[in-house]
Amino acid sequence: MRMKKFINDPKRLVPELLEGYALAYPNKVRLRGTNTVVRASAKTAGKVRLVTLGGSGHEPGLSGFVGLGMLDYSVAGEIFAAPGAPKCIDALRDACAGDESALLIVLNHAGDVLSANIAMEAVARENLNVKMVLTEEDISGPVGDRRGLVGCVAVYKVAGAAAEQGASLDECFAVAERMNRNMRTLAVAVRTATHPATGNPIFELGDDEMEIGMGQHGEAGTGRMELKTADETAEIMLEKLLDDLGAAPGDELLVMLNGAGATTLMELYLVFRRVAHLLDAKNIRLVRSAVGEFITTQEQAGFQMTIARMDVELIRHWDAPADTPFFAHL
Amino acid sequence: MTVSLSKPMLARMFAEAAKLVREHCEELSRLDSIGGDGDHGTTMVRAVAVLEGDIEPANGASLSEMLARAGWSVMGVDGGASSALLGTFIAGMGDIELGEELDCERLAASFEAGLRAVSNRTKARPGDKTMMDALAPAVEAVRVAASSRRPIAAALKEAADAAAAGAESTKHQVARHGRAKYLGEKTLGHADAGATSIALIFRGFATAVAEP
Repeated sequence: MRMKKFINDPKRLVPELLEGYALAYPNKVRLRGTNTVVRASAKTAGKVRLVTLGGSGHEPGLSGFVGLGMLDYSVAGEIFAAPGAPKCIDALRDACAGDESALLIVLNHAGDVLSANIAMEAVARENLNVKMVLTEEDISGPVGDRRGLVGCVAVYKVAGAAAEQGASLDECFAVAERMNRNMRTLAVAVRTATHPATGNPIFELGDDEMEIGMGQHGEAGTGRMELKTADETAEIMLEKLLDDLGAAPGDELLVMLNGAGATTLMELYLVFRRVAHLLDAKNIRLVRSAVGEFITTQEQAGFQMTIARMDVELIRHWDAPADTPFFAHL
Repeated sequence: MTVSLSKPMLARMFAEAAKLVREHCEELSRLDSIGGDGDHGTTMVRAVAVLEGDIEPANGASLSEMLARAGWSVMGVDGGASSALLGTFIAGMGDIELGEELDCERLAASFEAGLRAVSNRTKARPGDKTMMDALAPAVEAVRVAASSRRPIAAALKEAADAAAAGAESTKHQVARHGRAKYLGEKTLGHADAGATSIALIFRGFATAVAEP
C-alpha cells in the first residue's frame, strides 16, 4: 500500500518536525541549532543537567520529556537513527558550561551507544563532569544485551526529580541506575509502520499475527503467534515480565503501557485492566501507573509494557513535580 | 603509474565512491529492509555526500587533518551506527601522520589505523554479518599489496575485490550485531547492507585510481 502521510520533503522531516514541536510549546521548550531540544528557561545553576539522545520518528519521544523535573537536552537524530557524536558533544559541552555537571541517559541501541561512547570520550578529554546511564530493560534479549525501550521515561522522571532537588551527579546517577535495574519492558506488535522517509513498511506481519518482543524499529522478536485478546496478551506479557524481574507478593510496582502509535487508548485500558487484576490476585501492589503514548513508531500498532519495582525514594521522585509537554506532575 | 596519492587524487577516490553509493542507493535500502528499517541507502548517500564535500583538495589542511575533519562530518549526518562507523573509519585513517602524499605503505598504515578505530568502537568482527566483513579484508589486501611493493592501483583493485568477496560471504552468515541480529536465521541468503556499501566505497576508490 502506498504511504499516506502528511509530509513535505522526506529529507527535511526532522528539522521540520522539531521546528513545529518547539513552536507548539514555546513556553516550555526551544530549539538549539537544528537538532537539539532544550528547556525554554534553563535550570538553576548548580543542578545536574539531564541529556538524552535518540532517533526521530518516535514522537513524542524523546524530546517530549524536556522540561522541569525531567530532561534538559534531547539530541535528535534522523528518522529511527541515532544522532552523530558531534551534536551530542555540543549538547554536553553546553550542559556543562559554567562548571555544571551532566547525566547522559542513553537507550541501548547500536547507533546510540556508538555516538554516546564517542561523545563521552571527547568530553572526558575536556575534563567535563559527565556520567552515562545505559537503559537496557527489554527482556526479549539476553541479559547483557537488552534494548532500551520506553523505560527511559521512568529514568528521566526519577533522575530528573533528583537533579531538580539538588542531588549531586553521583546521587542522580545512582537513582537512574536503580530505576534502570528495577525495570523490565516487553513489546508486542500487531501491525507494521511505514518508514516516513522511504515510504516502505519497516517489517511484515500477517493479518492474523502478533509478535512479542518486537523492538522500537520493527526489529524482530522471538514470539510470533496468532493474534490474542487483550486479556490473553496482558497475561502472557505480564507473566514474562514478573518472572524476569523475580517479582514476589508484597512488591510495589510501577506499570507503564506505551502505545506504539496506532493502538487506541481503548485497547491500552483493556490491557491495563487485566494487568491490574492479575497483580491484585498475586498480592503485588500496583503503586503507580502511566498509560499513553510516550515513544511511538509512526502508525505501528502494538504497545510496550513496563514494570518497575519501586521503593520509597523512587516513588517520591516519581511523584515529584514535572512540567514537560508530554509528562506532567503538577 | 600511480605511486602515491595526492589530495586531489584522494578527493577523486571519495567522489567515485560517492557516485557508486548513490547509484546503488535503492539496493542498499532494500538489503537493509531485511534486517533493519530499510534506510541504509539514504543514510549512506547522505554520508558520502558530506565526505565528498569535505575532502577539499585545495584547502590548506594536512592529509591527516583533512581525513579527521571529513570523518567527523560523516558522524554528523546523524545516521545511526552506519554513519558513526564510517565516520570513525575515515577519521581514524588520519590518526597517524600521513605527510603530503600517500604511498602504498602509508595508505595501508592509514587504512589499518581506520580499522583499529572501528574495532575499538564495535564488538563486531568478521563473520558477524556487518560492514567488518568487507572492511577487514579490504584493509588486509592493501597491506599485503604494500608488503610486496605492488602499485597503489593494484592494491586498491585487490582491496575492492576482497571487500566484494567479503560482502558476498555475508549471504551465508547469520547476523550477530546491529539491529539485524534480532532476526537470526532469517538473515541467511541476503548480503549485509553495511558490508555491501563498504564494498561499493572500495570499488569507487579502485575505479578512481585505475590505470587507463
